[in-house]
Amino acid sequence: MAIKTIIEPFKIKMVEPITMSTEEERNVFLKKAHYNTFLLDSDQVIIDFLTDSGTSAMSAKQWSGLIDGDESYAGSRSWKRMEKTVKELSGMEYVLPTHQGRAAERIIYTHLGGKGKVFISNTHFDTTRANIEFSGATAIDIPIEEGKHPKVYHPFKGNIDIKLLEENIIASGPENIGAVILTITNNSGGGQPVSMQNAREVGKICKRYGVLYLQDMCRIAENAYFVNHREAGYENISYKDIAKEMMSFADGAVMSAKKDALVNMGGFLALRDEELANACKNLLIITEGFTTYGGLSGRDMEAIAIGLDEVFEPDYLRYRIRSTEYLGNKLDALGVPLMLPIGGHAVYIDAREFYSNIPVDQYPGQSLVCDLYTIGGIRTVEIGSVMFGTYDEQGKLIPAPMDLVRLAIPRRVYTQSHIEYVIEVFAEIIKRKNQAKGIKITYEPEFLRHFTAKFEPIN
Amino acid sequence: MLKKRSWAEPYKIKMVEPVFMTDRKHRLKVIKEVGYNTFLLKSKDVYIDLLTDSGTSAMSDRQWAGMMLGDEAYAGSRNFYNLEETIQKYYGYKHVVPTHQGRGAEHLISQIMIKKGDIIPGNMYFTTTRLHQELAGGTFVDVIIPEAHDPENTYLFKGDIDLGKLERLIEEHGADKIPYIAMATTVNMAGGQPISMANLKALRKLTDKYGIKVIHDMTRVAENAFMIQEHEKGYANKPIAEIVKEICDLTDGATMSAKKDALVNIGGFLALNDSDHFEQARNLVVIYEGLHTYGGLAGRDMEAMAIGIKESLSDDHMRARVGQVQYLGQNLLNAGIPIVKPVGTHGIFIDAKRFLPHIPQDQFPAQTLAAEIYIDSGVRSMERGVVSAGRDKKTGEHRYPKLELVRLTIPRRVYTQAHMDVICESVCEVFDTRQKITGLEMIYEPQYLRFFQARFKKL
Repeated sequence: MAIKTIIEPFKIKMVEPITMSTEEERNVFLKKAHYNTFLLDSDQVIIDFLTDSGTSAMSAKQWSGLIDGDESYAGSRSWKRMEKTVKELSGMEYVLPTHQGRAAERIIYTHLGGKGKVFISNTHFDTTRANIEFSGATAIDIPIEEGKHPKVYHPFKGNIDIKLLEENIIASGPENIGAVILTITNNSGGGQPVSMQNAREVGKICKRYGVLYLQDMCRIAENAYFVNHREAGYENISYKDIAKEMMSFADGAVMSAKKDALVNMGGFLALRDEELANACKNLLIITEGFTTYGGLSGRDMEAIAIGLDEVFEPDYLRYRIRSTEYLGNKLDALGVPLMLPIGGHAVYIDAREFYSNIPVDQYPGQSLVCDLYTIGGIRTVEIGSVMFGTYDEQGKLIPAPMDLVRLAIPRRVYTQSHIEYVIEVFAEIIKRKNQAKGIKITYEPEFLRHFTAKFEPIN
Repeated sequence: MLKKRSWAEPYKIKMVEPVFMTDRKHRLKVIKEVGYNTFLLKSKDVYIDLLTDSGTSAMSDRQWAGMMLGDEAYAGSRNFYNLEETIQKYYGYKHVVPTHQGRGAEHLISQIMIKKGDIIPGNMYFTTTRLHQELAGGTFVDVIIPEAHDPENTYLFKGDIDLGKLERLIEEHGADKIPYIAMATTVNMAGGQPISMANLKALRKLTDKYGIKVIHDMTRVAENAFMIQEHEKGYANKPIAEIVKEICDLTDGATMSAKKDALVNIGGFLALNDSDHFEQARNLVVIYEGLHTYGGLAGRDMEAMAIGIKESLSDDHMRARVGQVQYLGQNLLNAGIPIVKPVGTHGIFIDAKRFLPHIPQDQFPAQTLAAEIYIDSGVRSMERGVVSAGRDKKTGEHRYPKLELVRLTIPRRVYTQAHMDVICESVCEVFDTRQKITGLEMIYEPQYLRFFQARFKKL
């Protein structure tokens, strides 16, 4: 019998209770959290789709790895195991462990960045952009044109625009390029995959101009699934070999292990060049920890080594991608405007279209995030003008290209009945969407404002 | 009634980790392979690992249970609130920002409080602390009492601050050039030496007069409190928990590496009473560490920290902890081994210059001794002498520090009395045959932090 239903290739070994709440209670909770879902307590949330980062359920093997962790400061076997796994996967000689992905980014971009430097990417993620701008450098996003339009179908909407890449390198001068960063998959652009061909061409251009080529590989396994299913010539290549080939084009990689390494904490920086690695090691020791643990406990390094293997299992990846797609297809059928096709780790709603009665400068995305929470207890995140908006000289909002709301699906955590519940909540949202209110910002910090900003609904 | 009681452990063993027994022949081969540098030994070749007391503690069953209660929500994890409450209750600080480890907190406080040209006085430097102060544009000035620099001086509170020197420094530079005094409990580089409550009270009075803040490096505060209870008048009947609170109440904020006193393998925090500085810290932590409700730590590690803090303040625990270190120290002193006096709280520091008087400092007596102890018994210790001190930036010559030490750091709750006896026997054995020991020649020297990866050969 051919199985049509996507069943999980695992059974549950450990559970965590969910605290239930009523809509009235959640109205109070949200007001107290200044209408910012980042400021809610976790026990006020029923379904937590805030992020797929660090929220995975670990396997029994990973839990036993936690107990087996070797906490020796130097020469820990857990570090040796993680180092070996990353080296094999990336083909890169130098591995620097960090407490999470943004620390790896901060180290490499502090070293490469600075005033006058330019970084080019398919789309910089929020922490990446913050790290680059914090150093005084400029971050340029050049996704392919299709990547900017939620409705247009393209198999690899995460691709970078190769023509614009070359033009930008020439315009800025190759010597001023800090690095070209390919984010795989492209998170801010809707979790869309990058094709092998695109990754290869970026490599050629970077080589031609002598520019450093980095990959953000935090969802490299999910990307490999799409390459296998959508790109000619890769049907019979294993997911792990696809990932290896993709990384072979790059000079270095940053990884937040909290995504595709299926752990709750950890990350690393991998590099081919010894000199660059040594410079980064100095920064690593100052702010993270010594080169053999980088601010991670031995047990977490053990769990990363195990997770990086598990994530490439074909049954797991098939379940992962297809269950995300299941939610997306159901919402699409309800008429919710989505970023199409459905990406790997999340479903992205086009809030600007869905909440078209709310003007862009009243943050339709944030408004939808608030409604999903109060109506259903579902915590999501806005990826739009709150996260990436800036102001012109008159203080008027320059909106982000898209106002998306992300439903990030934690790995191996929620069951199909949770997903059915989410779909029900959307049916209710559709009924009430004419009552949706705009949102204004009442407080914002200088960097990464979405994490701690405070809001109020506009009556 | 006996005044001195046995330091027998107030716990029994619940989980064990195998150690590897090796023979002398194997150890001779291994130490030669790693160039006589104990840092480069694999943990499987080490019998008793005294490299550091940082992150190497054995957690309790309650802490392991807490690991299972980890709430890995990205925002608003209940483990954070538990940790925050614990810190507020036991240490008395108002605001808490978690960090992945202590140096993350040092990084934040330096960035927030230090301006270019500032002076930061402190009771002896610590490597990472001073580096962060310098990176923020400040200069560290040592104001510890002179007794601290004399390994033979037996004053009991060698962590005290020379208040006369401090006041002259304030008068010379002006209070506005001094953002805070960096006060450590206990002082690591002086051999784990405590500061007295009397000195701390006088420091508070002096800093209040000039309106200067005191920031507390509290990584071994409970060990310091134990020494106050043991040796300072008026504190014999005061519980350690109360003494710790009294110390914290005399300061304005703290950085903590929870990997020491708080009995965890990873974690730290920044605690502040000032609301404005806290606000800045909350905005910065998201860039370097993680969102302010996890700061780069897994939820489970925050839970283990909260439990570990409570356990570390138990009088019985601390009597066993420091009692074990003092037991080893006293046995070495009885055997006539030259060590730094008085014995501190977290380790024993052997004076290699007096141990191996026939080896000149440019033949690395401490490095030699650490290697010899390893060869004799598989005990791993650390050099703190000319190799660690590095080269003078201008002349390119070795820096020859006054103290040429081998550090035997005792992990918490890990080793038994029998292990202590083995360590003592081994050091005595090496001492008895010291005439035959020859020095080392450096054959590989990395550019930075050479002690970590340098290689040597026998002369």
